[in-house]
Amino acid sequence: MSQTWTAIRLAALRTVRDPLALLVALAFYAVVASVISTLWRSAAHGHGGTIAGYSAGQLTWYLYVAEAAVTALNPRQIELTGEDIATGAVSVELLRPASVVGLRIATELGRCLPRLALFSVIGGGLAWWAGGAPVRPDGLLLAVPSLLLAVVCNLAAQHAVAAAAFWIRDARSAWFLYQKLVFVLGAMLIPVELLPGWLAATARVLPFTSMAYAPARLAAGHVEPHLLVLQVFWAGVLLVAAAAAFAAGERRLQVVGG
Amino acid sequence: MTAAISAHGLSKSFTTGRGSRRRIVDAVDGIAFEVARGERVAYIGPNGAGKSTSIKMLTGILHPTAGAATVLGLVPWQQRRSLTRQIGTLFGQRSQLWFELTPRETFRMLGSIYRLDRDQVQRRVAELGELLEAGDLLDQPVRSLSLGQRMRCELAACLLHEPLVLFLDEPTIGLDLVAKQRFRELLVRLNTERGTTIFLTSHDVADIEQVAERAIVINHGHVIYDDRVAVMRRELLARKIVDVAWTAPVELPALSGVTVGERSASSLRLVVDTSVRPVRDVLDAVLLATDATDLTVTDPPLEEVIAEIYERPLP
Repeated sequence: MSQTWTAIRLAALRTVRDPLALLVALAFYAVVASVISTLWRSAAHGHGGTIAGYSAGQLTWYLYVAEAAVTALNPRQIELTGEDIATGAVSVELLRPASVVGLRIATELGRCLPRLALFSVIGGGLAWWAGGAPVRPDGLLLAVPSLLLAVVCNLAAQHAVAAAAFWIRDARSAWFLYQKLVFVLGAMLIPVELLPGWLAATARVLPFTSMAYAPARLAAGHVEPHLLVLQVFWAGVLLVAAAAAFAAGERRLQVVGG
Repeated sequence: MTAAISAHGLSKSFTTGRGSRRRIVDAVDGIAFEVARGERVAYIGPNGAGKSTSIKMLTGILHPTAGAATVLGLVPWQQRRSLTRQIGTLFGQRSQLWFELTPRETFRMLGSIYRLDRDQVQRRVAELGELLEAGDLLDQPVRSLSLGQRMRCELAACLLHEPLVLFLDEPTIGLDLVAKQRFRELLVRLNTERGTTIFLTSHDVADIEQVAERAIVINHGHVIYDDRVAVMRRELLARKIVDVAWTAPVELPALSGVTVGERSASSLRLVVDTSVRPVRDVLDAVLLATDATDLTVTDPPLEEVIAEIYERPLP
């Protein structure tokens, strides 16, 4: 456990030591979240003030939080991890007495935490300014652990997908597809309630909603603690999946070679 | 005491291509050797000879197709986690330092991976800082270090857990001459002061000459030579180089077993095949025929020796 905390702490330090990159990421997040939330506020006003149970203010909070949950992560994580597998960098990590995927996930979690904290504070401020005070402060409070669980789910899933590079060598196409799935089925751009019925039903049984929709819905004032329970479930499943995929990949690497 | 490294009939085959193009490549084919604790061994061979595959098997990254090996009494591919606590690995082209952090911060990370407590890490870092003359580098961001400085910190990183065996793969690649020299001296010092076994691969002849006591040469997956470096140089080529400095060039009488090399107004190089003619005969002939002001007899460069070994037919 100590190595996990050390990895998280030092990786967070790495992000903080590069303030320019942090500011660029913040600017990107603020612009995208502002534009999308403005569009949705206009749509809400055009529909008498609410859409699918979300007021214009709630939609604003939803979109700022959903964007923060997803953009705090390195968007090309699958591609980078896949490259490390394909180039043999991972095989060198096998020479340490630690879980390769465990340390990788801890490191990426640490790297994204400063971004997540910054996006949450600045995004919260912008959402308050543009959409008004949060409807339910207790929902906003629940959104904090939910955001953390969202990035854990997302990181675990990305590593599980990236492990495909142990077999197919090139995980770039997987990255592209995965990102779109998080955008749509994770309800980052459109709340699940606004998706067509069949797509909403599909999204609800997949883990992607735990990566954006859950914290966003809580922050929007829908106090539904079962969303956190679902996130814990998916985090567990996805971490096990990532560990199993890497274990199988490492075995393959040992037999077939890098 | 068990050998540091032991390999018997170690083989690894890879399958390449599919369908009708499918074929099996024997990357390593039945290699066998033992390395005693505290030895400094160069494991050399041309590109594609099987060096990296061998090292991957000896460190547990790869399962062999056949044969057996132990490192410090452990079977690497079966007991990799236990083995990683006792060996250090340094790959010249792969960094284990984080560029945004200082080496000391990375060492803290490695310390927790190897389950060293804070005091142990601090003590080891202080010792290594002194040994590797890297104390003043430890608190600078890695990105601001020169390659030579970074490699000293890389070496410190792989020594943090006090490994008994060090696997070094092209450790001096990319370093300038001064940094290379310093790095080699550090390796020898590490070996003599701490008894660390060193298993080194390199294409740089000076690494082999100045670090290793013994050379194992591998080609096409087979061990084709295994002896002391000094013996390799002395015995393998029955040749000596005689450099003559003179003030007035003259024509030497033709001598069997002697080839005239570079010739100028002030010097002459002769290559003597000692199996045909002793060097002494050549020196006598030169002194008799010329006004030589200086004579130097040297062994041929190790590069030539190694190139000759690479060209040998397989056993």
